[in-house]
Amino acid sequence: MYRISKDKVNDIAAALAEEHTLYAPALQRETLQVMFTQIKDLARINLTAALPLVPPKHVVFPQFGRTLSYAYDKAKQEVKFTPETDNSPKALFGVRACDLTGIQCLDRFYLGQDFVDEVYRDHRKKMFIVANTCVTPFRECFCSCMDSGPSAREGFDMNLTDLGNEYLIEIGSEKGETLAKKLSLASAPESAKRDREKAVDKSLSLFSKTAKDNKAWISRVVNRVTTGLFDEKAWTYIGDQCLECGACSFVCPSCSCFNVVDSVTGKDSAERTRTWDSCSFEGYSRMAGGHNPRKPVEDRRSKRCFCKLSYSQSKKYLRHGCVGCGRCAWVCPGDIGMPNVVTYIRREITKKGQ
Amino acid sequence: MLDMRGNDVAGVFPVRNHPVSKGRLCVRGWHVHELINSNERIKTPLIRKDGVLVPATYEEAIALLVENLSRYKNDAADNTGFLASPRASNEENFLLMKLARSVFNTSNICLDSDPGHRNSIDVMHAGTGMAGMIGSLEDIARAEYLLVLGSDITKQNPIIGSELHMAARAGAKLVTIDTRNTQIAHLSDRFIQLKPGSYKVALAYMATVLLEERRTDEDFIKRQTEGYDGFVGCLSFLKESEVEEKTGIDLESLKETARELARAKTAMAFFSSGISGFDRDTIGYLFNLFMLAGKIGKEGCGVNPITGICNLQGSYDMGIAPDLLTGYQSITDAAVRDKFNKEWNVRLSARPGRPIDDLLMDRSRGLKALVAVDHDETVIRHHDEIDAIEFVAYIGTYHNPFADLADVVLPIASYIESDGTFTNTERRVQLFREKRKPLDGIMPGWELYTAIAKAAGASWTYTSPADVMGEIARLTPEYSDIRYDKLTDSFGIQWPCTADNPGGTPRFSIEKAAKKITFVPTDWSFMVPPVSEEYPVQLVIGEAQHFWHQNNLMKKTTIPLREYNATLLLYPQGYVAVSPEDAKRLTVRDRANVKIISPYGSMEAMVQITDKVKPNTAYVAYFVDDMVTRFFLAHKSVMKRGEDETVPLSIVKE
Repeated sequence: MYRISKDKVNDIAAALAEEHTLYAPALQRETLQVMFTQIKDLARINLTAALPLVPPKHVVFPQFGRTLSYAYDKAKQEVKFTPETDNSPKALFGVRACDLTGIQCLDRFYLGQDFVDEVYRDHRKKMFIVANTCVTPFRECFCSCMDSGPSAREGFDMNLTDLGNEYLIEIGSEKGETLAKKLSLASAPESAKRDREKAVDKSLSLFSKTAKDNKAWISRVVNRVTTGLFDEKAWTYIGDQCLECGACSFVCPSCSCFNVVDSVTGKDSAERTRTWDSCSFEGYSRMAGGHNPRKPVEDRRSKRCFCKLSYSQSKKYLRHGCVGCGRCAWVCPGDIGMPNVVTYIRREITKKGQ
Repeated sequence: MLDMRGNDVAGVFPVRNHPVSKGRLCVRGWHVHELINSNERIKTPLIRKDGVLVPATYEEAIALLVENLSRYKNDAADNTGFLASPRASNEENFLLMKLARSVFNTSNICLDSDPGHRNSIDVMHAGTGMAGMIGSLEDIARAEYLLVLGSDITKQNPIIGSELHMAARAGAKLVTIDTRNTQIAHLSDRFIQLKPGSYKVALAYMATVLLEERRTDEDFIKRQTEGYDGFVGCLSFLKESEVEEKTGIDLESLKETARELARAKTAMAFFSSGISGFDRDTIGYLFNLFMLAGKIGKEGCGVNPITGICNLQGSYDMGIAPDLLTGYQSITDAAVRDKFNKEWNVRLSARPGRPIDDLLMDRSRGLKALVAVDHDETVIRHHDEIDAIEFVAYIGTYHNPFADLADVVLPIASYIESDGTFTNTERRVQLFREKRKPLDGIMPGWELYTAIAKAAGASWTYTSPADVMGEIARLTPEYSDIRYDKLTDSFGIQWPCTADNPGGTPRFSIEKAAKKITFVPTDWSFMVPPVSEEYPVQLVIGEAQHFWHQNNLMKKTTIPLREYNATLLLYPQGYVAVSPEDAKRLTVRDRANVKIISPYGSMEAMVQITDKVKPNTAYVAYFVDDMVTRFFLAHKSVMKRGEDETVPLSIVKE
């Protein structure tokens, strides 16, 4: 464990920027909202800013990107494939715990199963992650209910916790240790651990002021979503309000679905692009031949919640798919973000006679 | 906001602080980067040689364009036409309008894909002097009563649909009047499913209820309005005994809807202004009904046409109409022409032009030269007529069926490669900044139009889109205090924005109005489309989430294209939606082939069985190329008038 004074914390970012493309939270000038995008002017980094509008998922998994181009050589009767992956070193500085948890879900989906996804692997390969504890929760967050915050427990190289006048730095990897040594960071006394626990406990205690409605209900809703033991009318009620825009998936730190399209670029050449996809679209679950097991919108909504809340899905991520960041509620035009879904299912299961 | 990585666009970000979108995007917005990344971009100017389009330089292509248009210059008012794009920026459309009028001597300039919005603008202007939406989207949260008419608003305009849904959840009364049981109908407190073509009757009846039950806002009417007696006179021609038969709705629900409107302190109406929009008279009745209820010009009130294309409102603001200069100033007004003549150093003709659609339909008025920008509609409706024109130029960013008929093709940069302003449905002028330099040396629209004008001998000196806005502001009272430095880092300004009112005008306000507002003139015919034994079904035309006009833009994306294809795979030639009762009567299943026959033509289609339409009503999403060419070509006049006009049909099993 190390510590660093607040005015020096950007030294870590500066050291990372030497060898990495640096991504960090900053207030965007035009819109005055917090963005987690590439940053060149380190003075703009804002570690106390609210949860960024979108998670840093787009760094490891861009919304749209070419992954391959290929050309046919007529004379030689040969096809030349040129994979396009990006293994340049990237650093995420000041990632909130929920967003880091999202990246871990993506890791398990893309790297932890039978097939390793090369495109994702290359984005992720040389990544340095500096996490940042939320010492006060933001208004719409419920990470405490989803066991993904307010402080990261794993998956980081360094983890910052604001202790008032300085940052405590926990080390999570050899890379982190090397950087700490390189920067000659001052080591923190054993007592700092207790201070950190105190800060996290205080943050947790603040959740009861903001996340009051649904918090205690998530585990019960997880149980019911898994077993299906509630009236399906709740899904119809939710589905009726879905505008099928895909926003919930696009801003979700753990949503990993994508679509692949090959398009012609010239007479004998083509390229392959990969784009984000969403289970809210009808075409998402349509099979070759036209059958669609999830044609009605409510069936697609239940699929999403199954992915985020059910036990069976948790086996894949080794945790819930939902990380409790609350962004789906920010962007949903139908007002059926995850907290409201939990509320509606709760309403269904607390009806008399159940 | 775009996820720019150097010159690449990797995705989009929503804007949570935006006062209207509040972090929401529609399905089209979430995929706009796919369009920008399309491989169908036009990468070089093209000239037709021996029947084939071959690459050329801008100099050659511009010279060819100018040479041809100059040839017709003396009779340009009769033989030259310009089709502008509702997706182009204000600056581009202003310059195109100036090019047509001041350089090539013609006022034959219009948008074609949207006759509906002109109807709305005319009514709002006649009533209040404000030629656009008179309410404000931010006011939705302040309205007690929200009325949606004839619009599948959560699919067509999801952000506004969302705002209405949120307001209803927060306690506002949401009422939908439609021929189809749409999503917003599901989410409404009250849904009235009318017979097609009877909106006007229903609205007029609601107005008579207010009069008979003395629920009108008499004080407001007396002090603030004129034209009341004329409207009341029109209403006297409505026979109560016929209302139920004509609308298919029991009188009590219409009465209750009218009473709720009167009782609410604040109320707003929303309807779409496009191919599925209303005819002028229906909009007039809606406006006048809200006048009776005293729901015009106050906070949380207003009658609000919703434009479906990004710069539809702005295009009309820029004078893209045969009879209008910028800001709804009439070309027949000598004082207005004087102002433009001085600024432009020309002598504009007082004669209004004609819509291109009319010129194409009327072969005797032989159009000889046509310049089209980024169009998809006219070319499908009038393929043969356009093919017969001597000289056709196409200006656009992406390949388009128009280019196949063009003698010269001039590419322009996409909207992210130039600064420009767009005016949304609530008159909000928003600045979009250049995000990357144009690729492959392609010119932005404003630069191209300036180059064309110079080649034709005009002395245009614009050095940036901001310059162009300066000129727009000088010539247009509503835009007179709009400047790029004010728009920078803002979420836009709603016009009128003048020196006295530099912050703009969120909504039309009765206190600030210079004169009394007017009940708009309406007619007193309450005809509904006839149904006969031979043609018992009424066909309505509309739009849906993934289907928008000819889908020229959607077809250049990935995910929305898949969604579009998912429907096409089920219904390869499109579909006609019928009720389960009609399907039973016809003894057909979903996807069965039927023939639909109207007095003007017939076509084969598949049926889609849905409870969204009532018996004897059929619905067609206006999107499938084949359907438009093969069937609707026979119904051009119907398409032009909008949704309130319907096609009488019979459906037979194949």
